[in-house]
Order: sequence, then structure tokens, then C-alpha cells
Amino acid sequence: MIGRLSRYLADIDNLTTVYAVVVVAVAAFGILLLVVSPLSYEEEQLYPKSIDPTSPLNPYERGGDPFNRTEVLAQYPENSPYLGYVTSYLTPLSAFFAATSPYMGTTILTHPGGIIDEILYNTRGLDTVAETSILFVAFAIASFLFRREEE
Amino acid sequence: MASAGVAGEPFFALPFGDIVNYFTPYTAVLFGFALLFTLICILSRPEQQLDVVFGTDAYYAKGVTGKELRFRRFMSIACGCATMAAMVSGDVFNFTLFVSMVGVCIIGIVAAVKSRHVLDAAYNYGIIAIVATIPLFGGAAITLATTGTLSIWELSAMASGMPLIAKMLIIVGVMGEGIAPFYAAKAELFRAPGAPYVIMIHVSSLLMFLRVVEILLTV
Amino acid sequence: MISGYIIGLIVVFAGVALTFSAFLKERDDVHKLILADLTEIAGLAIIALTATDLAEALIIPGLVVGISELLAVSEIYLTREKLFFQPEKLFTIEVMDSAPGIMGAVLVIFGIILSGFTGGAVAATGMIFYFLCKGHKERFSLVETVSAYAWVLWIAAFFTFMLAPSYWFFGVMMAGGAILAKVVAKMSLIGAMRGESNA
Repeated sequence: MIGRLSRYLADIDNLTTVYAVVVVAVAAFGILLLVVSPLSYEEEQLYPKSIDPTSPLNPYERGGDPFNRTEVLAQYPENSPYLGYVTSYLTPLSAFFAATSPYMGTTILTHPGGIIDEILYNTRGLDTVAETSILFVAFAIASFLFRREEE
Repeated sequence: MASAGVAGEPFFALPFGDIVNYFTPYTAVLFGFALLFTLICILSRPEQQLDVVFGTDAYYAKGVTGKELRFRRFMSIACGCATMAAMVSGDVFNFTLFVSMVGVCIIGIVAAVKSRHVLDAAYNYGIIAIVATIPLFGGAAITLATTGTLSIWELSAMASGMPLIAKMLIIVGVMGEGIAPFYAAKAELFRAPGAPYVIMIHVSSLLMFLRVVEILLTV
Repeated sequence: MISGYIIGLIVVFAGVALTFSAFLKERDDVHKLILADLTEIAGLAIIALTATDLAEALIIPGLVVGISELLAVSEIYLTREKLFFQPEKLFTIEVMDSAPGIMGAVLVIFGIILSGFTGGAVAATGMIFYFLCKGHKERFSLVETVSAYAWVLWIAAFFTFMLAPSYWFFGVMMAGGAILAKVVAKMSLIGAMRGESNA
């Protein structure tokens, strides 16, 4: 039995199957756990989302004027002394659209500035650095293999 | 900010906004180990594997040269950097990101090899590395939703801490990136020539395992 | 009382179990890769359940990690199977003869105005469309170098935020510009790989 099992595990083609079994087991256990003793959703979240349907920047309206700060609930505000400036910033073009269109926030006009940029570039910048580095490494692998074929 | 986990008292914190990396005696040792191996990869020249044709005197050498050498050295240095960052990360999500970066770098280290067997192992490892991001990020996200924070500092100070299911998901995710039984694919990767670079695969998964144990015991 | 979050989590766990159970039966390597991409969506749903701005910002790294791993692994597959054939019959429709220049230019200019991730994607679509119509002999290594320098610019923007936060405006603009360049360069290269008509 153990011999059969170890032979099965040693075949690399079966590894995804084994991993899937583990994940399915954990997910099933998770459902069981959630039904028996439900977790509670923490109401005091960082960077809470608020929706103001009347604002042209909805759902990204977080208050503040360009070059002024707004209130942002970060984990360690003391580490980001200029917290809130990026959130309230609008480029002139997006300010123009915000003044003329009531649906600026839901268009694909993604200009620098806003709450997501605040998180991505400023407070959790290291996440984005890691993410772009992963893309960079993956792209390096793909382009290395591709260019080697061409030669 | 002053709770001592299994890792001992932190003596240095490196803040990057919301993500505060910290050095305790434990993480500093792991960091130093990763740094040492990265330096070895930078400085040393790769091994030469010799294959002897059975029953004759003939042999052929499988060297790593030229562009391939440069590419693999780059990948193993990137792997070392990702491992170092994961060792000192003070944020659950950031840690999971660096774990997945190690996974991609490991694929990169062996991607240049032309042996079909090694590529087969790399492909299977790669698929597990892709799907392992789901439990990793899922664990981090459940932690965020139920505790309201991702910082290991804050989590270790909390009474309730990380929920059990999130811990399980993170351990399953790190397992997928290279702990037994999924280590089998990595053992096959080890057939690739080019010693110091290939060793990086093992070093990174060993260090990753040690770090995830520390995180799960602390939070 | 079970909250909405818990119900959502149970549903997503069921979805994760369902997508992963597909791996139990699947033996074909390409299908496994497609399934791996499918499971990513379930992973993103767990993050999205948190429903804060932070969750939204975490989805972007999660998504990009999945895509980049997919890119690397699929390239490994092609190398392993030695699938180097060029397509024999290329796709053609009328608009590709009449309007490549103007469509490409409009999309690229619009993308530059948008800037950021979305702008990069739009501009890259314009570039790929142009390459698709006109054929290309792109200087792969040159564009690759541009993309690498854009990455460096991005890192510089990050350190601007960390070390000199009072220059936040500079940092935002640098990051927005760098990501535009990076996404355009990478997407147009990836999109143009192996589709050459005259290279």
C-alpha cells in the first residue's frame, strides 16, 4: 500500500491531482468550519469603501480637493506623512470630465490619482513592486525562450 | 509593536508605508542565509556535468555557457532577492506575493534547460505554482476580512489572531510552492545541470518553509 | 446569525472545490493549464469578498501574478513540445487593409491620454492591431529594454514615495508614465510573438 502510494506520488504527472485533492479537502473543511463556527466579518476595516451615488467620481469618491489631503484610514499613517494627497488628486483632464459628466468614476478614464493609486503606489507600494517584478521575471523567461528559438 | 513571537524580540524594523519589514534574530538569520546563497550564485562559476556513455570510454560534458549562463544566473539572483524579501516581510499579503515570485523564479532557473524530462517537471511544477496562489491569496484575504489587518505585527498583538482556515490555506499554498509531497517535481528539476543555480531552488523552499512556520506560530 | 460575508465565503469555497475537482479527472497538459487559469478567478473572488478599497488594490497584484505565471508556464510548454511553427494562413479582413495606421494611432494616443494600467492596455491594443495588419519586424531587444527601463522608473517612483514623500506628485506621475510604457511594451511584444508574417 505504502509502496503504491509512494510510486503514485513520485510520478510528477500526478502531482496536480494530489494538490487538487488537498485543496478540495481544505475547502470542504473550510465550509464545515464556517457552518459550525462562523467567522465574523471585522467591521473596522482599513481603507473602507463608501458609495455616494450622487458624486461624479462614484465609486471612488473619497473627498478632498487636488493638492489638499483627505482622510485615509491606513495601517500605519505615521509611515506615510503625505497620506491623502494622492487620493484627492485629479488631473486637469479628469477634473474637467468630473465637472461635465456625472459618471466619471465608472469610465475607463484612469488618470494618476485616486484612492487605488494611493494604496498601490504609496502605502502598499512594496506589493506593487513585487507584482511588477514577478511580471518582469515571467516576461524575461518567455522572451528568453522565444528568442532562443529564433536563433 | 512589541510582541515577541517564537522569533524573539525584533531589533530592527524597516517601514515601507503600510508594510513594515522586521528583523528578529530568527528572520535575520534566514535573511543572512538567503543573502549568502545569492552571493554564491553571483560569484561562483557553474558546475560541469559529465555524462559517461555506458560501456565505453566516451563521455560528454554538459556545460552551462554564454547566454544561458547569464540568464540562469539572473534568475537565481532574482530568486535569492525574492527569498530575502519573503524572509523579512512583515505583511501577510506581501509575504504571499514574494512566495509566488520565488515560484516563478524557480521555473526560470530551469527553463533554459533543453532536457525534455526537466521541462516536463518544470511544467508540472509551474501548474502547481499557479494554482497555489489561490490558497495563498485566499488565506491573506480571509485574514484581512476577519481581523481587519494584514500586518503580522498587529496580528500577533491580537488575542484572536488569524483564523484557522486562513492558516490552513496559507500552509497549503506554501506547500504547493515546494514542500513535500509536492517537492517531487522539484527533485526532478534538480537533474538540470548548473549547480549553484539549481541549489537555489532547494534553499529557497527550505527558507520559505522555515519562515511560514514562524509566521503561523506568531499570528 | 450568519452574515453575508460567511455565505459568500461558503459559496466561494464550494466554487474552489468544484474547480479543483476538475483537476482530478483532467490528464491533458494544455487543459490543465487552462483549468489553472480558471481557478485563479475563484481566488480573486475570495479577495473581492473583503469589499474594501484595499481588497480592490490587492486584486491587481493577484491578477498580474496569475497572468505572468501563465505566460512563463505556457512558454515552457511550447519549448517542451517544440511547437515552433509559424502560422501558415494569416487572418485578414478588409479593415486591416484600409485603416491600420489611423486605428493604431487613435488607440495609442487615447491610451497615452488615459495613462496607467488601462491606458497601457488600450495603447498596446493599438500597437498590436497595427502589427497585425502591417506585419512587423520589431526590434525585440530594443522594446524589451524600454520595458525594463520602465520597470526601473517604477521602482524609482516607489522610492520617491518612501524616501521623499513630499514629492508625491512627482512619484504618481512617474509611476503612471512608467506603467504605461511597461504595459505597452510588454503587451505588444507578447501579442506579436509568433505571429510574424514577414519576420
